[in-house]
Amino acid sequence: MDIAFYITAAVTLISTVMVITRHNPVHALLYLVISLLSLAMIFFLLGAAFAALLEIIIYAGAIMVLFIFVIMLLNLGEETAAQEKKWLKASVWTGPAIMAGILLFEFYYLISSSDAVLYNEPNIGPRPVALSLFREYLIGVELAAMLLMAAVVGAAHIGRHKKVVLHRFLKEKEMS
Amino acid sequence: MSENDFFALAPLLLLSGSAVLIMLLIVAKLSHRIIQISSLFLFFISFLSLFYIQKILPYNVGTLLVVDGFGVFIVGLVIFSGLVVNILSYIYFEEKEEGPREYYVLLFLCTLGASVLALSQHFVSLFLGLEILTVGLYALIAYLRGRNHSIEAGIKYLVLAAFSSAFLLFGMALIYLETGTMVFLQMIPESTKSLSPLFYAGLGMMLVGVGFKLAVVPFHMWTADVYQGAPAPVTAFIATASKGGVLAVLFRFFIAIDGFKFSSVMFVLACIAAASMIFGNLLALRQRNLKRILAYSSVAHMGYLLVAFVPGSLMSLQAVCFYLFAYFATTLAAFGVVILMSGKNDDAEDIDEYRALFWRHPGQACMLSFAMLSLAGIPLTAGFTGKFYILATAVQSGYWPLAVILALSSVIGLFYYLRVITAMFAGNSNSVPEVKEKHVFFFRAGMLALSVLAAMIIWLGIYPEDVISFIRLIAF
Repeated sequence: MDIAFYITAAVTLISTVMVITRHNPVHALLYLVISLLSLAMIFFLLGAAFAALLEIIIYAGAIMVLFIFVIMLLNLGEETAAQEKKWLKASVWTGPAIMAGILLFEFYYLISSSDAVLYNEPNIGPRPVALSLFREYLIGVELAAMLLMAAVVGAAHIGRHKKVVLHRFLKEKEMS
Repeated sequence: MSENDFFALAPLLLLSGSAVLIMLLIVAKLSHRIIQISSLFLFFISFLSLFYIQKILPYNVGTLLVVDGFGVFIVGLVIFSGLVVNILSYIYFEEKEEGPREYYVLLFLCTLGASVLALSQHFVSLFLGLEILTVGLYALIAYLRGRNHSIEAGIKYLVLAAFSSAFLLFGMALIYLETGTMVFLQMIPESTKSLSPLFYAGLGMMLVGVGFKLAVVPFHMWTADVYQGAPAPVTAFIATASKGGVLAVLFRFFIAIDGFKFSSVMFVLACIAAASMIFGNLLALRQRNLKRILAYSSVAHMGYLLVAFVPGSLMSLQAVCFYLFAYFATTLAAFGVVILMSGKNDDAEDIDEYRALFWRHPGQACMLSFAMLSLAGIPLTAGFTGKFYILATAVQSGYWPLAVILALSSVIGLFYYLRVITAMFAGNSNSVPEVKEKHVFFFRAGMLALSVLAAMIIWLGIYPEDVISFIRLIAF
């Protein structure tokens, strides 16, 4: 199964390079989703199925949705609205789609074949993870809460607006 | 978590509770004055709680943290620095255009981060503490977000700190791969002569990450710009608390893995120390901006601290503790004068603004002179005793080249410290008449804090026996 690892690693590297070289943030986000999905695939190959699932749920799921919401709420103006219509061009989505296809095919092949994982580690489910998080590393979890608080307070201060800014949808409604 | 765990963690719990409490006070739309005074009170309580927990030391809290004499000493210094910065912040931020309230929440969180660093014995708590400190500092540095210098400094710190965190994390991952544990005490390498390549690589990457935070020479590029761009109280905090915490955890890590016996690692550290001392002092020579002078001088002082660190003897722990104490008092006093001198629009940075300061504000001029003399290491000040301690440590273990470089670079340093002092006493005595201070209460409180610091500098210089015996008592 070494070849599966190298294919996934190549997909990860290529998509990550694409993330940092795109000019349009939404194009970069598409590649970032692929990069996170293929990282999950690597976890799966190493026999850490639970970590792979968490990677997909937390990063590719929750955080990406947040990102997309932020970009929508940033209220980028008329020219971006026109640009949105052009986003469904083939050249934009073929790259991510091909890579996602590779990952999907690989995943299907692996779960249908018998020797799916590289290492036969004991399968770690949610229970031991939760127990170690909230027993041994309880202080770590609490410290992470303080870290988030610092980030939120800091971001709220830096990003504070004094004047009222209406979203473009509301503005259009007012005008009409 | 048992009852004793909560007891031992009291300072950290108080600090994090204070951050939440201050946030609630902000929600209640209380005035700046009330928030400042209550946060001062909370800092004071957190500081006092350190004396309260003395009797159960040393104490392990889970696998993540250890509360021992050395850690509590560093946490004491960090909270003290937060306390002094807090006293001086009112005058500085009351005049500014930004609402100053979130500042106090972030100050508590940064203090918490540095304290966690000083107590951590596990990679998880090391990284979390470092990130709490750094994420808080991003916002604090760019706090006056309408000003170009602040934004530039904030972005610079954000990019470089994130980059160095990545190095640190990768180093930790490599060491974890090699040893299979993240607890410092369990990762003692088996062979006594040499380390495995993976361990070397991990250690090297961790040193890069830590070096950025300490701003030692190959990684010092950000220092001057960030010191200049950040608001003066924040600069004081970066110069003291953040460096103290990082140095403490570096020391704890090296003691745990007994890293002092690996000559190649120590050679690298000795080179970093020598380069920091030489370049820090040389770069400060041509500066006309007091904040930049202090930035490069802090690079040099981190070099001096590493000279005490490298021998790895019992005495080096004491020397580092003592020098940190002296350095904290001195740096806080120097930045305190800068904060009190700063006006509404600009910080008092340019050395020309200090011209004839003695005839306008004799008190402030005297305190800045004490601080400068102590930084230069003139006898009868804390800096001299500290440097003497470091030299004794280095010479005792036979590190002659480092001792010689320390002495020579201190001589270079004298030039720019004395230039600040001559500027203050130059000029004619019948210059600008005294301007009435606006916030009399807080100005007096700031002057009181500075006088205490100046008294500490002198006391440590003339009669250091008390502090030295205290440090001997707590550090093993």
